[in-house]
Amino acid sequence: MAILCSSSSPSMFAAQRASPSPAFSTKGIFPTKFPGISFVVTKPIAAVSNSRSFQVRCQKDLSVVPFDQRWMFEESEADGPDIWNKTWYPKAADHVNTDKPWYIVDANEKILGRLASTIAIYIRGKNLATYTPSVDMGAFVIVVNAEKVAVSGKKRTQKLYRRHSGRPGGMKVETFNQLQQRIPERIIEHAVRGMLPKGRLGRALFNHLKVYKGPEHPHQAQKPVDLPIRDKRIQKQT
Amino acid sequence: MNKAKVFKLAKGFRGRAKNCIRIARERVEKALQYSYRDRRNKKRDMRSLWIQRINAGTRIHSVNYGNFMHGLMKENIQLNRKVLSELSMHEPLSFKALVDISRNAFPGNKNVVHAPRKVSIPVDV
Repeated sequence: MAILCSSSSPSMFAAQRASPSPAFSTKGIFPTKFPGISFVVTKPIAAVSNSRSFQVRCQKDLSVVPFDQRWMFEESEADGPDIWNKTWYPKAADHVNTDKPWYIVDANEKILGRLASTIAIYIRGKNLATYTPSVDMGAFVIVVNAEKVAVSGKKRTQKLYRRHSGRPGGMKVETFNQLQQRIPERIIEHAVRGMLPKGRLGRALFNHLKVYKGPEHPHQAQKPVDLPIRDKRIQKQT
Repeated sequence: MNKAKVFKLAKGFRGRAKNCIRIARERVEKALQYSYRDRRNKKRDMRSLWIQRINAGTRIHSVNYGNFMHGLMKENIQLNRKVLSELSMHEPLSFKALVDISRNAFPGNKNVVHAPRKVSIPVDV
């Protein structure tokens, strides 16, 4: 098995250098000096990236240093930056907000915690091979029908949401039912916020979650895709 | 060390720590201790990052990190995690080939004992 792979991988490498595979599309601007391999982002659905991305390429091939500038670079860097011995860190062009995918999920009859967990994974970017903890690489997620989210057991009457105004005696407690009557979006927001990192980046990530009460949402222009859910127990069992 | 060296190392510090020698000396000592400790921590953090990236890359192909590495070990593929994470980002087709090799070598644990399903709790909508 191993021998079979090693003989085919040079041809695979060569094929990739020659032309990018049509199934994947290149994204974003290339101000960086990457060698001839174009940067591809693997996503669950490749068709969407084809329709949405536009290719911006530099005029010249920046991967090879021109002859008159070779004296500035060390011998090992003459063919471009070393991507195999240095761990990749995203440049600004790799996480532009306008190029990020948008996902939509219907909260109707989905278990609250399992739904929030899946959403948080996509917002943080942990489903991507290019995950970086210090950079916002995640996607945007729209949740519709937020008032129809389900919980198991007696949580509807027994789960308490607490908040404190900061003054003595200022603790306010409400049940799941009461909060759902008052502000149903806040239930899903509270659940997802607890699953995102706490800090400056976490607060910025939270803004990528959009929760709406009914089946309508104002983000048709972003062409959201259905959120792929792999949890088998997320659907409420009747 | 003398004050000039301390102030040179204290560049970019907050408030009086970059300007006043008594405070700067303390902060610089602490900074040097942190950098000593973190030169060792950096190796751990990088490996953890590679593992997270490999995990994400293999889960796209429905294999988790543990089973993937087990399959690679069985096939005696000695690629390290740094290279595997770079492959998963920059060479997705080659990485998929590796995942297929691993899946053939170790299809998954057939003897997994799942937790017994709870008696279905009534769910209100």
